[in-house]
This record gives sequence, structure tokens and C-alpha cells, in this order.
Amino acid sequence: MATVSELYDVTWEEMRDKLRKWREENYRNSEQIVDVGEELINEHASKLGDDVWIIYEQVMIAALDCSRDDLAWTCLQELKRQFPDSHRVKRLAGMRLEALERYEDANKLYDSILQDDATNTAARKRKIAILKAQGKNTEAIRELNEYLEQFVGDQEAWHELSELYINEHDYAKAAFCLEELMMTNPHNHLYCEQYAEVKYTQGGLDNLELSRKYFAQALKLNNRNMRALFGLYMSASHIAASPKVSAKVKKDNVKYAAWAGAQINRAYQLAGRGTKENKCSVKAVEEMLESMQITMS
Amino acid sequence: MAEPELLLDSNIRLWVVLPIVFITFLVGVIRHYVSILLQSDKKLTLEQVSDSQVLIRSRILRENGKYIPKQSFLMRKFYFNNQEDGFFKKTKRKVVPPSPMTDPSMLTDMMKGNVTNVLPMILIGGWINWTFSGFVTTKVPFPLTLRFKPMLQQGIELLSLDASWVSSASWYFLNVFGLRSMYSLILGQDNGADQSRIMQEQMSGAAMAMPADTNKAFKAEWEALELTDHQWALESIEEELMSKELDLSGMFSRELPTGIF
Repeated sequence: MATVSELYDVTWEEMRDKLRKWREENYRNSEQIVDVGEELINEHASKLGDDVWIIYEQVMIAALDCSRDDLAWTCLQELKRQFPDSHRVKRLAGMRLEALERYEDANKLYDSILQDDATNTAARKRKIAILKAQGKNTEAIRELNEYLEQFVGDQEAWHELSELYINEHDYAKAAFCLEELMMTNPHNHLYCEQYAEVKYTQGGLDNLELSRKYFAQALKLNNRNMRALFGLYMSASHIAASPKVSAKVKKDNVKYAAWAGAQINRAYQLAGRGTKENKCSVKAVEEMLESMQITMS
Repeated sequence: MAEPELLLDSNIRLWVVLPIVFITFLVGVIRHYVSILLQSDKKLTLEQVSDSQVLIRSRILRENGKYIPKQSFLMRKFYFNNQEDGFFKKTKRKVVPPSPMTDPSMLTDMMKGNVTNVLPMILIGGWINWTFSGFVTTKVPFPLTLRFKPMLQQGIELLSLDASWVSSASWYFLNVFGLRSMYSLILGQDNGADQSRIMQEQMSGAAMAMPADTNKAFKAEWEALELTDHQWALESIEEELMSKELDLSGMFSRELPTGIF
């Protein structure tokens, strides 16, 4: 079987740099990491120097994702030999136990880490992940709430909590979590858009107005967010179609919806230059927008 | 007055000036590694971590509260600042000022700091003074007043000698402070051989990171949050957005990345 370096004609330094880029940007392309990383540690381990340990950790987590227990075991052994008393390595051992569905053993391991060091966030989050894996959503939510009471600054945890609440259809609380995220990352258009979607799902005139505003904010932060553009169109149309609004509000929202519709058309025109299939989708979008107009007025 | 009044034996340069530089540098490097070996882990309690994060959250609320709806902002402000059971009003942390006598870890830290930094400096300074005494080592390039003479010309008993000519002990001290930038070049930023930084830390260490600070920090945050108002940034967002067409450039690029590299 051809190696990665042969297939793509790259040197080991490029492979190592690619792994670092994936690590820093939090990619989860586990199969690619396993391919590249496995070759790197098998062929070039001596040349990597001290980088090899963090690559072992990265490859081990990717191997657990791909169900490569053999590779995960070898990585773990190397790490255990080098760092015998490390909490970080213990957490990796716990993750491997989780992958084998030995949840009680994993829990015991995490509890021992927490006994040693009560501020260890990684172990606490893994315990919550175990609850989630076992399908115990309500307990996971409860534990995550307690965790967040102690560590209010953990953004990953806030996001996870919002996702759990959305799964439980508790949209008000999910909105709260997303507000925390929006405050700490005011320039991230994705959080604005997700918040707007939650508000839109909650329904009711005030929430629709809020959702329209936040879709607009997401668009302002990133002009190319198509989802936010459609969201803006939908929320504006819904407000305009609602019987309880004043005439002025209705007029404003019709204007917003028309603008959004025009932008959608423009975007599809840009996409559709040339190919015949794209021309069909342009036509489909136009028809959809027209049909919405009819139900609205 | 640039004429050289004294001509020093070039052996002085070879056997005194350079060895002192090497000695100072090597001692600094050794100090750095010894401080790494003797370093003790600073264990933070759960409460300290939690409190620091709460303070950060309150600060973020003040600064970025304008991005969330008014209702949400008021809800959070109420949670923090409410008269009866707001977080900043209700939480009082136990105040135990860590004096060096009662807190054993601080005591050992102080001792280690003294051993690794002050002691070698005194020892080596004294040894150099004893070994390289009785002659003039070098001349500082700027003129000095006579009051510097007893300080900088330790072993030399000449009344008429210009104060710019200094003994080896002062050359040693000059090196200690001068090689600081060399240390950061070779050992990296946070190195244990950095004398002046450590002395600064010792002076300010008494004033920072004390538990009493948490209560004061809470009070300061409470006041700041009371003063903050909510100016919703999204008030007229639709008008701003729709004033011009969307910039869709680069949305549909011809090339998609294939494969890993």
C-alpha cells in the first residue's frame, strides 16, 4: 500500500507541519490524521525530537475515533513510558477505556485524577462525556451545569450545554448558553446565527424580531453566510405575515424580506453562471421566493 | 578629556576581564537550571480558579454586554449585583493573608529564592574581590564624581586616581546586570538567571495574589457593573446591513482542495 509521502510526494517536515496545523485549528479529520501520523511515527520518530509526544497524543485520539485500537494502544504505551505520572496521559488512558465501553473503569480512573487534583477540568469533562455516551442526557446536563458553576469561563462547555439543551428542546436555556458564547466571541458570526436559529425555533413575535436582528448581525459579520441570509428572509417574512403586527412593522419587514430575497437571487446568479444544472437551481430559488411572497400578502 | 592617562597591561584584559565575564555568565546559566530543579508546583485551589473566572465573566459582561438582548443583560446584572443575594454581594471569601511565617510554602519559596540568587552573588562577588584585588581593571567611558571612588575602587588606595577607573568587583557587578539580555537570548524569556526581575518580583510579591484581594476585587467589579448601562449594538442593524449590497466575492471559487496536501 502506498504511503502518504509517496501518494502526495511530501517530505516528513511537511507532514509534521500539516499535523501541527490540524492540531492548532482543532480539526477532527481523524482518518487523515491517522494516515499521516502513523507513517510519521513509524518511519520518522527519531527525527521529530520532542514533537513526537504531542503527535502521539494527537494520533491516539484520532485512532480511537477510527477504531484503530492497536495504534491507540502503542501510542498510549509510548506516552506512559515517557510520562509515567502524568494526569494528561491518565486522561488518554481513560479515553481508551471509554472507547472500549468500559465506562465504570474509566470513571474510576477519572475519579482518581480528581482526587489528586480537584481543578483538573479535563477529567471532569470526560466524565460528562461518559454520561452523554451512555445516553443519560438529563444527568449530563445536571453535571455540566455544576461544572459550569465552578468554571464559568469554559467556552467549549457552554457550547456543549447549549447543544444538550437543544436536544432536550429547552430552547430558552440553550439561548442563555449561546448568549454567553456571543459575549465572549462577539465577532464570531456562527454563534450569532445559531442564537438566531434558536430564537426562531422558540417562536412568538418578540423572538422572531430578535432572530431577525441576529441573522442580520451574522450577515454583517460575514456577508457570505447563506444560512443567515435565508434565516433573515424567513424571519422577516413570518413577521410580515403575522396578523398581529402594526402596518408600519409589516411594511418594514416586507422591505427586509424583499432585500434578502434579492440578495439570495444574486448569490444564486453568481453560482449559476454557466452550467445548465445551476441554471435550474436558480429558477427553483426564484419560484420558491415568489411562492413565499404570495402566502405573505 | 579623551587621552588615555593610564596604560593597562594587556594581560589584565586576558586574565581578568574575560574570565570575569565567563564566570558571571556560567554562574547565571547554572542558577537558571538549579532554579528549574528546585521549582515547586504552585497548586491553585478550586475556589481561586473559580473566582478568577467569575471576575473575567463579569468583565466580559461589562464590555460586550451590548451584543446580547437587553433582557439577558439585565438578568445577568441582577444575578451579580442584586442587593440581597447577588453573587458579588453574597460571596465573602475567607481572608487569610499569607504571611511568611504561617504559610510554609511561601517560606520555602523565599528561602529558595534567596539561596539561588542572593547567596551566589555575594559569594562570587567576595571571591572576585579577594582574587582580583589591588589593581585597576577597566575604565568606564563616562566621567564619575569622586564620591564613587570608595565604592568602585575597592582594593586600590590611590587618592589621585580618576573615579572612572574601576576595580574588578565593580566589573563583576556590571556584568551581572549587563548579561541579563544575553540570558533572555540564550535561555528564553522566563529564565531563572534574571536577577533584577527576581528582585522586582520579591518587592511586588508581597503585594499581589493575596486572598483579601478577592473580596476587594469583587467589590470593585460590583461597582463597575452598577455603572454599566446596556446600549444594544443591534438597534439599527437592518438599516446598516441593507444600506449596501452584500459582498459575495470569493464565495464560489473554482478550486476545491482535494486530498490532504
